[in-house]
Amino acid sequence: MSWLVVARKDFEDSIRSRWLQGLTALFVGLVALIAVVSLRLSTGGETISTNALLGANFMGLLSGTLVPLIALVIAYSAVTGERESGSLKLLLSLPHSRADVVFGKVAGRSAALSTAIIVGFVVPAVILALGPLSLDIVSYVGYTLLVALLVSVFVAIAVGWSAAAPSQRIALGGAIGLYFLFVPFWDIIQLPLQIAISSLPEWVPVSGTAISNALFLLNPASAFQGLTNALLQGQLFSGETAGLQVSALSMLLFWLLAAPLVGLLVFQRRDL
Amino acid sequence: MSAIQLSSVTKRFGDIEAVRDLDLTVESGEIYGFLGPNGAGKSTTINMLLDFVRPTEGTITVLGEPVDAAGAELRERIGVLPEGFDVYSRLTGRKHIEFAIDSKEANDDPAAILDRVGLTDAADRPAGGYSKGMRQRLALGMALVGEPELLILDEPSTGLDPGGAREMREIVSAEADRGATVFFSSHVLGQVEAVCDRVGILHEGELVTEDSIEGLRDASDNEATLILTVDDATDDDLDAVRRLDGVSGAAVDGSMVTVSCESDAKTDVISTLGETGIEIRDIETESTSLEELFLSYTDGEGVVEKEGAGTGEAAVATPEGGQ
Repeated sequence: MSWLVVARKDFEDSIRSRWLQGLTALFVGLVALIAVVSLRLSTGGETISTNALLGANFMGLLSGTLVPLIALVIAYSAVTGERESGSLKLLLSLPHSRADVVFGKVAGRSAALSTAIIVGFVVPAVILALGPLSLDIVSYVGYTLLVALLVSVFVAIAVGWSAAAPSQRIALGGAIGLYFLFVPFWDIIQLPLQIAISSLPEWVPVSGTAISNALFLLNPASAFQGLTNALLQGQLFSGETAGLQVSALSMLLFWLLAAPLVGLLVFQRRDL
Repeated sequence: MSAIQLSSVTKRFGDIEAVRDLDLTVESGEIYGFLGPNGAGKSTTINMLLDFVRPTEGTITVLGEPVDAAGAELRERIGVLPEGFDVYSRLTGRKHIEFAIDSKEANDDPAAILDRVGLTDAADRPAGGYSKGMRQRLALGMALVGEPELLILDEPSTGLDPGGAREMREIVSAEADRGATVFFSSHVLGQVEAVCDRVGILHEGELVTEDSIEGLRDASDNEATLILTVDDATDDDLDAVRRLDGVSGAAVDGSMVTVSCESDAKTDVISTLGETGIEIRDIETESTSLEELFLSYTDGEGVVEKEGAGTGEAAVATPEGGQ
């Protein structure tokens, strides 16, 4: 299990990164801030549930925009950075294949960021438990795990891109491009797209809903939103969107494997 | 079985031919010194042995297996000290060695390896603070893990002080005594001379000579260096001398002309210079050293450094370095 050795090394290395520590602190701070602000707002005496808190707009905004950003920042240089510094030579001098390197890095860096995120949610959970909020532990844990999955998917995309990119500069440019594509741009095109879809000519063989669902699923960030919304409404993998949710989860898992695989195919052919 | 075999290997980077039609065989159990000036193609060749870089043409086998098809398992039997590598700056020296042990599924004791390469005191500091020499020792330590059948060391003495370079040679000899094949490159003849069974000299991507150290020494004994003081000479004036049989090189520096040639060719050189119209005022003869022979093979490129050159780096290569 050579990739596991690479993953463990990469985890130990990433967890010591100032960037990771700084971004984790920022994330913990923001989640805690949201928790505290919610407590203030609920001084009327009534208890609000953590589900309402996690479902709040700014919480969705935080997970949906900051988590992909953190993942891309931490992982875009996973392969190119090592290639440019030369540590990749040290790594490939050992009995690791290039596939071990790519998938090991996805696993190691995802594990490092997931750890950071779990810590990021434990701290506010403590604050919440002390205050007049009812903690719905199941959906809270579920939400945390979904955030960890989201971060892993974006790590996989970033590592895949990093393996394929010919230089560190292009890796950085591409990571910025991927972020803007998946986060703000996807939202911006939603409205014009809906209008376009609603006036589809007759001859188009797919329905407007199918196109809109496909676009929704394709973006890991929106697939994540769909899943968390269902989770917080207590309708995970049930209710009328159950089929769509299964597709959303499958899509996330698809990204997790396909992105590094495509990157690997390019990386295999390349001189170091 | 040959430890390393390259057959008609060519590597082009765009228009540049880094290695040209190279045939090279390293036998099991020998210490092979791969010598040449910087830019001769040594690292490209080594990178191809490790499948870091793929040859444009030709085939390469290492320990009997073709490197392009062998996969990562082949590297379980090889210890590598690459050129132009970097360490994981956030991880300690000990972590690096442990990583190599885990990767090779070996059961070495990290402390013993660290001791062997002289990093015991620095073992628990992040490697990012290591000097160049210490990084070199660390990578050598990683290469030694798992008692590899073959050691491939690319410029192993880089950044080492004279003491460190000697320790490096001792380790190379000890590994060879254990039965390992050692293939190492250097642009410093002195590093190679003391330990190698055989030497290959690479120049502009081609193997210009391959011999034992004794063989090279015999060749150098036949060679002489003529140092002539003249009234005036330009580089063009020496073309006629260079064309002579037995002349391996000629250079001019002001009023000083230096010619490397076989001992028998000395009179020809002097008379040819006379015919060119150069007035010779003084003649000195020196027997050619191994260094000068090396230079003659490489057109004087890649100045032969005496051991211990680069003491600036050596000064940093103390355990206190990089704090």
